[in-house]
Amino acid sequence: MTANIPKVDLPLLEKGSSLSQDAIARLRRNKVGMASFYFLLLLILIAAVTPWIAPYTYDAQNLALGAAPPSADHWLGTDTLGRDQLTRIMYGSRVSLMVGFIATAVALTIGVLWGAIAGFLGGRVDAVMMRIVDALYALPFTIFIILLTVIFGSSMLLLFLAIGAVEWLTMARIVRGQVLTIKRQEFVEAAISMGLSPWRIISRHLIPNVLGPVIVYTTLTIPSVILLESFLSFLGLGIQPPASSWGSLISGGVETMEEYPWLLIFPGLVLTMTLFSLNFLGDGLRDALDPRASKD
Amino acid sequence: MLLFILKRVLQAIPVLLLVATVTFFMVRAAPGGPFDKDRAIPPEVMTQLNKRYHLDDPLWKQYLDYMSNVVRGDFGPSFKYASHTVTELISAGMPPTLELSLYAILFALLVGLPTGILAAIKQNTLLDYVPMSTAMIGICLPTFVLGPILLLVFGIWLGWLPVAGWGQSPGDKILPSITLGSVYAAYIARICRGGMLEILSQDYIRTARAKGLSTARIVLVHALRGGITPVISFLGPAIAGLLAGSFVVESIFQVPGLGRFYVMAAFNRDYTMILGCTILFAFLIILFNLLADIVQVWLNPKLRQELNARG
Repeated sequence: MTANIPKVDLPLLEKGSSLSQDAIARLRRNKVGMASFYFLLLLILIAAVTPWIAPYTYDAQNLALGAAPPSADHWLGTDTLGRDQLTRIMYGSRVSLMVGFIATAVALTIGVLWGAIAGFLGGRVDAVMMRIVDALYALPFTIFIILLTVIFGSSMLLLFLAIGAVEWLTMARIVRGQVLTIKRQEFVEAAISMGLSPWRIISRHLIPNVLGPVIVYTTLTIPSVILLESFLSFLGLGIQPPASSWGSLISGGVETMEEYPWLLIFPGLVLTMTLFSLNFLGDGLRDALDPRASKD
Repeated sequence: MLLFILKRVLQAIPVLLLVATVTFFMVRAAPGGPFDKDRAIPPEVMTQLNKRYHLDDPLWKQYLDYMSNVVRGDFGPSFKYASHTVTELISAGMPPTLELSLYAILFALLVGLPTGILAAIKQNTLLDYVPMSTAMIGICLPTFVLGPILLLVFGIWLGWLPVAGWGQSPGDKILPSITLGSVYAAYIARICRGGMLEILSQDYIRTARAKGLSTARIVLVHALRGGITPVISFLGPAIAGLLAGSFVVESIFQVPGLGRFYVMAAFNRDYTMILGCTILFAFLIILFNLLADIVQVWLNPKLRQELNARG
């Protein structure tokens, strides 16, 4: 076996491009994906600096003005209390994006660890851990979250934890599936034979190698989390006034849509465009990171 | 096959038990009781109320009593509407919700399946791109944005359809059903397209083409059965989403259904009502997941054989 190994011209290999460079190049060619990426970047930037650039404060009322259609002073109009809608949408984006990112981070942490541990240890531990995931899948989660907000009151922290705690299941399944295939490869066997601790193998060898699917699924989790928060706020169970989130703005807009349709249309538009961009970016990332995976 | 069904039913029971137990103790652990009013209630009255609803029993006894009642279909009295039992409220709210869900899923299938099949046959043409892009928009458009917009356009501006109610004026079921169903129409179209594309590239389809069968016959007789299997496995989870969606749709269109009751119970802290609805929803979701699994096995000879082989 060791006799005739052909000599490999090493410098030649350097001219190739790395996996991530390939992926970025593929993503750059995806126009819708890139447009979504820049839209989201802009949205995040605006949300980050909202307290300094917002034209008004989110609770500044102008009762004399009341609900006014878009004008030079108020670009997106005002609500029934004369509050500037652009400002309230900007503050709402802080809430919605924050819930989206933090709850997804919670889901990501639990899901990746759970899946990696189950997949790596295998055997009975794996069977028990995955049975738990199966059982949780059968639970009616939207109902469960409503229940949680009823019982513990609707605090921001609870919202993060509750949403994060229900979104980790699919992540755990994906990671476990990936780990099962990676586990059989030589570099993991090498790590085991070197006597590394299971924790070190999971954190240093397994998790970095499942990042691709995890990134894709994360991008697709954020919109479903944002949607869930808006859904709760729409029902009046999420963010409480005078703070605003997109869901509560839409819910307010629905009440008065007959007279003041702009109060429904603008927040609805922003929410839909955000969800749209996140989904398209997720699709684009999937195509870029895993060219073999089909779209559906 | 029978064994498979039996096994799945037996698996569903512990899950249901878990839901009921967790919900029960969560509700009991909640700060603030159902009788907390703005006005302070005299302690004697409080004691009487607690006695009447057996809230002074030890917790384990309350739990066992409740569970044994639930098994017999008795969810106890409503804390908010003292003259009604939860079972009465649920059976009043159930028919509109089920009807709405049924229409929504019918709408989703009637729109989604043909669109998906057509897009798969005409892959990479306008008939593929346009409906699939529309479906992507449909998936991203939340029910609580789509519903009010449909209401505004068709109910108020054009005045074609009633804006609220359920079964009171002709056509008032159309907008809620479409609102609830459209997301699923979009999903089904995409999933159906994916499933059909995979089947259409199989060898036995090529054989059918080589025999000179018409496209219609190939698609309807040979490909459809395999192509819609992913759609069927999607229908189980879709029912869960449908129930959640009905909360919003029923609120927007003022449908007197279970979803609206549930949200109202959540606001009123009507604990027995919340408990009863949660258990019922869990039951429905588990039931429909089970049905979807069974239909999937029934449609797929390969899976059926595997089951038979394993005994």
